Amino acid sequence: MEKRTDKNSYTVIFAIGMVLVVGALLAYLASALKPMITENQRLEKQQNILYAMGINNNDEGSATFVSTDEAPELFEKYIKQQLVIENGEVKEDNKAYLIDVKKEQARAKNGKTRRLPLFVGEKDGKKFYIAPIRGKGLWDAIWGYVAMDENMTVQGVYFDHKGETPGLGANIKQRYFMDDFYGERLLTDAGVFKGITISKSNADPTNEDKNDYEIDAIAGATITGDGVTAMIKKDLKLYLPYFQNLKNN
Amino acid sequence: MGKDTKLILDPLADNNPITIQVLGICSALAITAELEASIVMSISVLFVLGVGNVVISLMRNIIPSKIRIIVQLIVVATLVIIVDLVLKAFAYELSKTLSVFVGLIITNCIIMGRFEAFALGNGPWRSFLDGIGNSLGYAVILIIVGFFRELLGSGTLLGIKILGDPVAKTGLYAFGYENNGFMLLSPMALIVVGIIIWVQRTRNKALIED
Amino acid sequence: MEHIELFFKSIFIDNMVFATFLGMCSYLAVSKKVTTAVGLGAAVIFVLAITVPLNWLLDQYILQPGALSWLGEEYAAYDLSFLSFIMFIATIATMVQLVEIIVEKFSPSLYNSLGIFLPLIAVNCAILGGSLFMQSREIASLGLATTYGIGSGIGWFLAILAIAAIREKIRYSNVPPALRGLGITFIITGLMAIGFMSFGGMLTGGDEEGEALENKNGAQIKTVKDSSTTNEIANNTKVIE
Repeated sequence: MEKRTDKNSYTVIFAIGMVLVVGALLAYLASALKPMITENQRLEKQQNILYAMGINNNDEGSATFVSTDEAPELFEKYIKQQLVIENGEVKEDNKAYLIDVKKEQARAKNGKTRRLPLFVGEKDGKKFYIAPIRGKGLWDAIWGYVAMDENMTVQGVYFDHKGETPGLGANIKQRYFMDDFYGERLLTDAGVFKGITISKSNADPTNEDKNDYEIDAIAGATITGDGVTAMIKKDLKLYLPYFQNLKNN
Repeated sequence: MGKDTKLILDPLADNNPITIQVLGICSALAITAELEASIVMSISVLFVLGVGNVVISLMRNIIPSKIRIIVQLIVVATLVIIVDLVLKAFAYELSKTLSVFVGLIITNCIIMGRFEAFALGNGPWRSFLDGIGNSLGYAVILIIVGFFRELLGSGTLLGIKILGDPVAKTGLYAFGYENNGFMLLSPMALIVVGIIIWVQRTRNKALIED
Repeated sequence: MEHIELFFKSIFIDNMVFATFLGMCSYLAVSKKVTTAVGLGAAVIFVLAITVPLNWLLDQYILQPGALSWLGEEYAAYDLSFLSFIMFIATIATMVQLVEIIVEKFSPSLYNSLGIFLPLIAVNCAILGGSLFMQSREIASLGLATTYGIGSGIGWFLAILAIAAIREKIRYSNVPPALRGLGITFIITGLMAIGFMSFGGMLTGGDEEGEALENKNGAQIKTVKDSSTTNEIANNTKVIE
C-alpha cells in the first residue's frame, strides 16, 4: 500500500503549506523586528564614525566603541557638520550618516549621480573629515570609515566586514591592522591621488614609514587585503575635488 | 553502556562526524585559523543541530519523502535566519560576531547529514541526543585544529600571546623562533585534519580503510 | 572579453574546492573512482549552470532592496533580502528534483549514469555557495551569471577529476595503513590547494593594469584642477569613473 505521504497531492499541499508558514513567519519577524534592527544599525554607524576620528573606549589591544548609550550624545558633540556632495555641489544634511553607500554605488553604476556623504568632526581644535567607503572582500561586503585631515592624510580608520574568514580576513577590524593607517598619506606631494596599498612585500611590518603609501598585509588574507586597497582607492578618490577646493579657498 | 550515552559518546571518537563520516568539512577548514572562532562555530552548530534534529524528528511522519531534502534545508535555513534576526534586534554585538557563521551553518552538511541519517527515523529525544553528540564530536576536531593553527600560525591562543611578542622579540622569539604563517592558510587545515585522522586510526586499528 | 576573464577566473583562481573549500563533503566522499567522479562533476556543472542564472533573476527582480520596483513605484521600498537563503535553497532543491524527473523520463541511460548523483547535489554546498557568491560579488548580467555558473562548475569538475585520478593511482603505493583512504586524501587535497594558490598570482597582473589606469585618471583630474569650479571637476571624475 502506498504511504499517505507519498501521494502527489499530499506533496503539493505540504509544499504550499510549508511555504506559507515559513514565509509568513519570516516576514512577520522581519517586519516586527525591523525598527529595533534599524535603530541598532543607526547607533552602530555613529559608533563607527566616532571610532574613526579617535573617539572610542580602546584599551590595550582591542578595538572598543563608545557605548551605545553615549553614542548619540557624543556624535552630536563631536560631529560639527554632515555634508552631502552631489554633482560637485556641497549641501549640509544632518541625516547624511544614514545614506546607504551600497545604494549610492548601485546608482552610480546605473548612470545616476552618486551622493557622497562626508562628516566633519572636531576634537581638541583639530578638524577631521570622515568618509565612508565600501567594497568587496573574499566572501562578501567589506566597508569602513576613514578620517582624514585637510591634506587627505589618514587620521584614523574603522573597517568592518560581513563575512570574511575569522582569524584571517576578519582581522581587518583588529587594532593592529587599523592603527597602521594612522598618518599614512593618500596624496602625493604634487596633490595627485595615490591611495594606500595593502602590500604583502612590504619591508616595513611595523609601519614606521608613513610616506610609502603602503600598509603591511595580513598573512593569509590576500583577497580581503586587495579589497581594502580597492575600496580606499576607488571611493576616497571621489572626495579629491572637495579637498582640492578646500585648499584653494 | 546505555543506549542513550552511546548516542552522545560515539560521535566523539569512533563515529566522529568529521574524521569518519566526512561531514561538515567546509566549515572546519574555513574558520579554524583562530581558536575563538572554532569555539563560537561549535556552539552555534550545537544549537542548530540540537534544535533542528528535534524539529525534523517531530515532523518525520508528515514530511513527504519526495521533497524531504527541500524541507530539511528550509527548516535549517529558517531556524538560522530566525536566530539571526532576533539576535540583530536584541543582542546586536553578539549578532555581529555570529553573522559570519550564518552562511556557513546553513551550508554545513553535518546538519543535513544528521537530519537525513538519524532524525528522519528516530524519536525527538534520541534525535536531540544524537544532535548534541555529533556537534560535540565536530567541536572536538574544530578545537584541536583551531588550537594548533592559532598557536603555530600566530603564536597566540584566544588572542593571548603565548609564545612571546614577535615584534619586540621576547619569549621564544628571542631565540629566533618565527611564526609559521603558512598554518593560517586553509590548505594547512586539510593537512592538520589529515594528521588527526592518521593519529586516530593508528590508535584504533578497526577504523583503518582497506 | 569580460566573459572569458570571469570564466577562467572562476575555474582557476576562485576554484570552488581549492580557493573557497566549498563542496568538500561530496568531493571527499565520491572521489574513489574516476568514473563516478566524472558523473558527479558533470551533474554539478549542469546544476550550477542552471541555478546560478535562475537565482540571479530572483535576486534582481525579487530579493534586492528596491528590486520589486517593476511591480510599481509603491513596491520599490521593500527589501526582501532576508529571504535570500531560503529562496536560493528552494530554487536549487526544486531544480535538482525537476532535472531528475525530466532526465528519468527522456533519457533513461543518462539517468542511470547521472541520476544517483542528483539528490547528492542538493546538499552540496558548492551549489549554494555559487549562488551566494553571485549575489555578494554583484555579477552584472544574466549572461555573466551563466558564465560564472558554468566556470565554477568546471572548476569543481576538474578538482574532483584530479583527486579521483590520484586516488586510483595511490592504491598501488605503500601508504601507512592508518593514513589510507580518507587521511591521505585530506593531505593530498591540502597539497593540491597549495598548488592552486599559485594561480592567485594571475590576479596581480590585472591589478597593475588597473593601477596604471588609475594613475592616468589621477593625472587627468590634475590637469583640470586649475580650470575652474568644483562642479566641473566632479563631473570629470564621474566621466572617468
